[in-house]
Amino acid sequence: MANRRCLQLLTRRVSALFSANPPFHTLSTPPPPLSTHQPLISNSPLVFTPHWSAHTRHFSSDRNDDVNEDSQDDDDDDDEIGYSSDDGSLSKGGGSKREYTAEEMEAEAAGIGYKVVGPLEKTDDGVFKPYEPVFAVIQIGSHQFKVSNGDSIFTERLKFCEVNDKLILNKVLLVGTSSQTMIGRPIVPDAAVHAVVEEHALDAKVLIFKKKRRKNYRRTKGHRQELTKLRIIDIQGIQKPEPVVTEKPSKAPGKKPEKVAVAA
Amino acid sequence: MALRGVWQLKKMVVSYSDWGGSSRGIRSFMESYLPAFKEKNPQLEVVTEHIRGQHPHLKGLYNNQNERVVCVKNMDPEEILQCATRLRNSLGRKVVKLRTRHVTKHPSVQGTWTTDIKF
Repeated sequence: MANRRCLQLLTRRVSALFSANPPFHTLSTPPPPLSTHQPLISNSPLVFTPHWSAHTRHFSSDRNDDVNEDSQDDDDDDDEIGYSSDDGSLSKGGGSKREYTAEEMEAEAAGIGYKVVGPLEKTDDGVFKPYEPVFAVIQIGSHQFKVSNGDSIFTERLKFCEVNDKLILNKVLLVGTSSQTMIGRPIVPDAAVHAVVEEHALDAKVLIFKKKRRKNYRRTKGHRQELTKLRIIDIQGIQKPEPVVTEKPSKAPGKKPEKVAVAA
Repeated sequence: MALRGVWQLKKMVVSYSDWGGSSRGIRSFMESYLPAFKEKNPQLEVVTEHIRGQHPHLKGLYNNQNERVVCVKNMDPEEILQCATRLRNSLGRKVVKLRTRHVTKHPSVQGTWTTDIKF
């Protein structure tokens, strides 16, 4: 009944509007909200419905009295249920389709992740050195790690680097060896840590389950965090101790004269 | 997906059907994005396999003999490219929750602290 009254009022108003054509603040609302309501009302003439929906958006609860409410509830349920791990990739793709210029990329990388991307690795065989007893405390984003040569680190997904890229992590808070320690205030200047990107992968799925008891409210959401694995190659900025390797060659000539003496 | 500079994904099998509607995306992926993907990854062996009557999938074979199968039915070519890039970007390790974010063989340089240490 209220709908028919509204319709009569509005048809009168709309005809006046069409003749006068003044700018109406309610007319600025776009027609799409109507599309869900069009099948519900059979009486309204199709030409005038956009304006009608603009007015009756305030009375949307009255509109539903005539029609079943199940259709609307089903839509809500479908939105909740249709969540899969693919949606994570979609949202990531849609959000990060910004075109970054080179300067913007460098600035963001340096500002947020404290890293500078170096050139890709091409047959640098001497990059993965054996272990050196040097360590450093690094900050990437908001996380800090104590790293040494040959360690692996899992960080949040770093945007501007591909797999097999070399990085320079320049926010170094502390560098140390077995004899020396250099503490930064807050960072050590001229200290750099070289790393290589090993993989960009997704973590295992965690289920986020929300429930309010006795209130008929239950939600299940899956989440996979995007991670980057870095391997630390080199720490620079401190004097490294000399490696002690010369044991074997010194033993061999020492043994030979002993054997000769025994034989004699 | 490179452990110490060695790429871990050895082979990728792109299985599709020429009849089914769920393979529409992967068929257009094979025409549009797959050649570029092959160019970008010369170390990767990409094989296309025709399976009729089944949903399409991408199969990745890794150096550690691990096999990751991703079903790409009813996906757009851009999404399939994303899946393929993900397979290329990851090591073949099992997807389990991380124990620590820092994996090291030499945890201490200056010696592990104990209560008996006097500085």
